[in-house]
Amino acid sequence: MLFKIAIKNLLGARLRTWLNVFVTAISFFMIIFVSAMYDGMREHAMQVSIDTEIAGGAYWHPKYDPMNPMTFEDAHSVPPVAVQALVDHEKAVPVLVSQASIYPNGRIMPVIMKGISPEQTIVNMPTQKLVTIDETAIPVMIGTGMAKDAKLEVGDSFTIRWLDADRTYDADEGTVVHIMETENFKLDMGHIWIPLEKAQTMLAMEEEATYVTFAKDVSPIDENGDWIPRDVKYLIRDMEALIEADEPNAAIMYIILLALAAMGIFNAQVLSIFRRGKEIGTLMALGMTRSRVVGLFTLEGGLNAFLAVIMTVVLFGPVLWYFGAYGINMGIDYSEGQMGLIMAKRLIPVYSIGLVLTTTIIVSIIVLIVSYLPSRSIAKMRPTDALRGKVTL
Amino acid sequence: MSKTSVVQIQNLLKQFPVGGDFFTALKDINLELEKAEFTGLVGPSGSGKTTLLNIIGGLDSPTEGNVDVLGMNLGSASHNERAALRRTQMGFIFQSYNLLPVYSVFENVELPLILNKVEPQERKQLVTQAVEWVGISDKIDSRPAMLSGGECQRTAIARAIVHQPALILADEPTANLDAENSHHIMKIMVRLNKELSTSFIFATHDEKIMDYLRRIIHLDDGQIANDEQIDQPKFDE
Repeated sequence: MLFKIAIKNLLGARLRTWLNVFVTAISFFMIIFVSAMYDGMREHAMQVSIDTEIAGGAYWHPKYDPMNPMTFEDAHSVPPVAVQALVDHEKAVPVLVSQASIYPNGRIMPVIMKGISPEQTIVNMPTQKLVTIDETAIPVMIGTGMAKDAKLEVGDSFTIRWLDADRTYDADEGTVVHIMETENFKLDMGHIWIPLEKAQTMLAMEEEATYVTFAKDVSPIDENGDWIPRDVKYLIRDMEALIEADEPNAAIMYIILLALAAMGIFNAQVLSIFRRGKEIGTLMALGMTRSRVVGLFTLEGGLNAFLAVIMTVVLFGPVLWYFGAYGINMGIDYSEGQMGLIMAKRLIPVYSIGLVLTTTIIVSIIVLIVSYLPSRSIAKMRPTDALRGKVTL
Repeated sequence: MSKTSVVQIQNLLKQFPVGGDFFTALKDINLELEKAEFTGLVGPSGSGKTTLLNIIGGLDSPTEGNVDVLGMNLGSASHNERAALRRTQMGFIFQSYNLLPVYSVFENVELPLILNKVEPQERKQLVTQAVEWVGISDKIDSRPAMLSGGECQRTAIARAIVHQPALILADEPTANLDAENSHHIMKIMVRLNKELSTSFIFATHDEKIMDYLRRIIHLDDGQIANDEQIDQPKFDE
């Protein structure tokens, strides 16, 4: 019975109902969209990181600590036989890491110099660009961020100075052969990439590497000597920590949007009760009990949320689908890494079933609560006051 | 309370708190109304007629005294019991009609039947019948905003009679109507009273209504000043 009356009231109120529903639907849309953007941002960061840097995991030299450049001097050796076998079968790529300084345009810039095999296909980097026929200079690949910072272009030469295995400083000329576009600022900022063999010769570390990154489909091996296996989970831990640190922000954003939705509905309910004081009195005079009137108004609020879900699907569904399919141009210079997270130029929101279900359930519960709270005052209302339109909340 | 008694009131006192004091709206009210009576509570503004009507309708509670309506002692009845009594055995007609603006005439008249859980088929039949009774069949799909004052009040009457209650309480039903509409409305109610034996109690100070009443209870300053039986009302069709 209440359901029938509530439906009649909602449909009968026409524009007022649709405005309320529209506002709630916008809240639904915003909550889902913003949360999906957050999820998309995280997933993209993770994906780019795995694609361009981590692949299936790595074996690290026992002294290698990527967070401490001072360890680079000692973090090199010939990889264990089983690890080298992966390299020989083109299922892994060795990387030799060392500290260096470059002198572009008369400036000094400390960098991390990484030697990588140009033929590798394990990580998604344009390393084949390092293959040159010019033997006179060191071919160098840098990212767009680094190029901007150092004011370098393809063909520009600069001095590279490094410390070799004998702890002797040496220097030579490097030439930029390619400027790579990458969303992973960790490959870009403060990095120069050169061919592995060249790096091994320069550093007097023949056949040596600092770490070996292996392909995604490679199973872990046991004969890794004293090298330390690092799986994907370990290698993305920094990013997960960043994401975890970012979670309160996401939660705050979620709560703000939810609060906005709740306030909108609460406001609509309070207004509705004020405006419909006489109607409440009439319903009581016609024999509707107070608890049923409370139930009616709460149900109307609940139905409002239900209609909002339908409107979100019908009205905003195509918008959500469009962004999900084509993404959103962020217009952010990701390469400077100012976000502290890998940012996509075109961000694609990720709508998980969990997100949609959680949002729907949470918003529905909030809607029911904020519909019930103002309606509760009806239970204390005297029918004679309500009939006169005298409503106090 | 006799078998034909619809309302029986003894020593009714009604006070409202005003500031730190009490305002006495009704006092020493003793009254008995029989089935099928056509009674008016008449008096100037502030005489207590609406308050008395509200107490009879169970919308308000007496401060002291005993009020029995249709066999129920309202003093000891719960909110829900009083609501059930109104729902099943009473009809209300208000000065400003109190129609639900978002409902059509049909839906407004149907509402008491929905509250009484009447089956849809029977609802349709009863609503059609009630609307025919009051002569607004051609307006059945209209909303209140599209109706004249007279049509609104007819809709309100149809809503009050659709579930065939034993008692109809009307608070200034003609106050917002012109003379012609007032007469039409009163004629409808006289006819209902006679054909369905429905008891009517009016709260009014409209002289036009008095010509239809068969009993006039004059209230003054919250007390019954005079209780007058009219053997031959001026308009008694």
